[in-house]
Amino acid sequence: MADAVIEVKDLKREYVSTKGLFQRSKRVVKAVDGVSFCVNRGEIFGLLGQNGAGKTTTVKMLTTLLAPTAGVCRVLGHDCFGEEKHIRSRINFIFGGEFGVYRRLSARDNLRYFAHLYLLDRKVSEVRIEELLALTDLADRADDLAETYSKGMIQRLQIARGLINDPEILFMDEPTVGLDPVGARMLRDIIRRLKEQGRTVLLTTHYLKEAEELCDHMVIVNHGRVAVAGTPAEIRGHHGSLEDAYLALVGGEEDASADD
Amino acid sequence: MLRLMTETAKLQMKQSFARPMFRFCLIANPFLNTILLYEMFLGAGEEDFFSYVVLGAGLMGLWSCICFSSAGDINRERYMGTLALVFAAPSSFQAVIYGKIIGNTLLSLFSFVVSLLTAALLFRVPVTVHAPGFFAVAFLAAVVSFIAISSVIACLLTLSRKTELYMNLLELPLALLCGFVFPVEMLPKPLQLCSALLSPTHAARLLRMSVTASPDRALFLRELAVLCVLTLLYLSGAVLLYKRIDKRVRIRATLDVA
Repeated sequence: MADAVIEVKDLKREYVSTKGLFQRSKRVVKAVDGVSFCVNRGEIFGLLGQNGAGKTTTVKMLTTLLAPTAGVCRVLGHDCFGEEKHIRSRINFIFGGEFGVYRRLSARDNLRYFAHLYLLDRKVSEVRIEELLALTDLADRADDLAETYSKGMIQRLQIARGLINDPEILFMDEPTVGLDPVGARMLRDIIRRLKEQGRTVLLTTHYLKEAEELCDHMVIVNHGRVAVAGTPAEIRGHHGSLEDAYLALVGGEEDASADD
Repeated sequence: MLRLMTETAKLQMKQSFARPMFRFCLIANPFLNTILLYEMFLGAGEEDFFSYVVLGAGLMGLWSCICFSSAGDINRERYMGTLALVFAAPSSFQAVIYGKIIGNTLLSLFSFVVSLLTAALLFRVPVTVHAPGFFAVAFLAAVVSFIAISSVIACLLTLSRKTELYMNLLELPLALLCGFVFPVEMLPKPLQLCSALLSPTHAARLLRMSVTASPDRALFLRELAVLCVLTLLYLSGAVLLYKRIDKRVRIRATLDVA
């Protein structure tokens, strides 16, 4: 427990929505319903589960974007709600898909702006931006507007953005969604390199092979609760593959309707 | 913080000008409004073209740009997925929002140039500022007051996902209530009370006073004092609101649409 950088204990998050003008009815959706896990420094940790299982909600609480309804949610020893000032400069996050970049700016301008947001020194950030553009293979198109980029290029720009502050912990929510095989391989290599540098990565993904290949530990969540936790080998157990184990745990069920 | 605000203002100007809707609000809107207002004032036998046509169209253009940018940007960023990234960065979210508003407001001032050029070149409206000193003070006070009211609106809109609805609701009623194109004294008394509480009403009055032949110094200073008090109230309100929304947005989950 000494080197645990993420502590989640009996974490809950409810979404409340109201309907109707005069006779208002309240609907409560339990997106996360008592999840517990710990992530140690320097490990790659997988958070797996069906759509609507509560993965993204958990990541949002850990990245200080959402307030927990109940439970413990600590990153680097600080509460994610109330002590976020001590966390934000030391973490970063990447959400999958084509969002999270300014499309009317070039890759270089996007990275420059996020460097300002992370209060980086100008000289340091210029060097870092060049490194990240090279790392994500965007150097040739660095000055073109992001709106002219392919889906994969936008995702690579997201990766560069997520690394701009050299974070101690990187949260990645389905980062390989829509990436071509070359882009996905590049991302996996970046994740491995981060691990070599002692960084911690929390990863959510639907690609079980990817999770098995990368993760040191993982939890599978189902309907907002932890269904199983352990190393990929422990979870695989007597099943032929992680996919078989996963299907045995959550398979055959319809996608949950709650917000993920 | 100042560097962040400057960089955000520069980024905002770049981004806003790249949007066709913003260019419409900035260039076409004051141009068309100047023509429309000129014809209306001409038809009504009014001759105070500079005060109501040029300044009126300029103020309407400025307000439209503010409504559809400073306010609308919150929603745009929400849908682009960048609002959450900006919010979760270690820098001050408030500084980012102010940077955006300042960038937009400065760029939106170009609508005055458009209405001025349209009136001068198309209709030969005499463009004479009789008291440049008064005008400079009035203009500066007006810009600061627009930044203050935008910050309150932007702050409130962070809490809601119905931003587009609200910004459409705000645009025209506020232009009418604040008397951009006619004296607020023409409005029913209860509405005049609302007008008095809105800082753009006093900004518009100050601007008009400053372009008249001989502005009443005492009246000008009184109006300026009211504008300053309202602006300070708005800014204080915005600071308090920002402190509140920092927690509310995370409880209500309004930072993104996912």
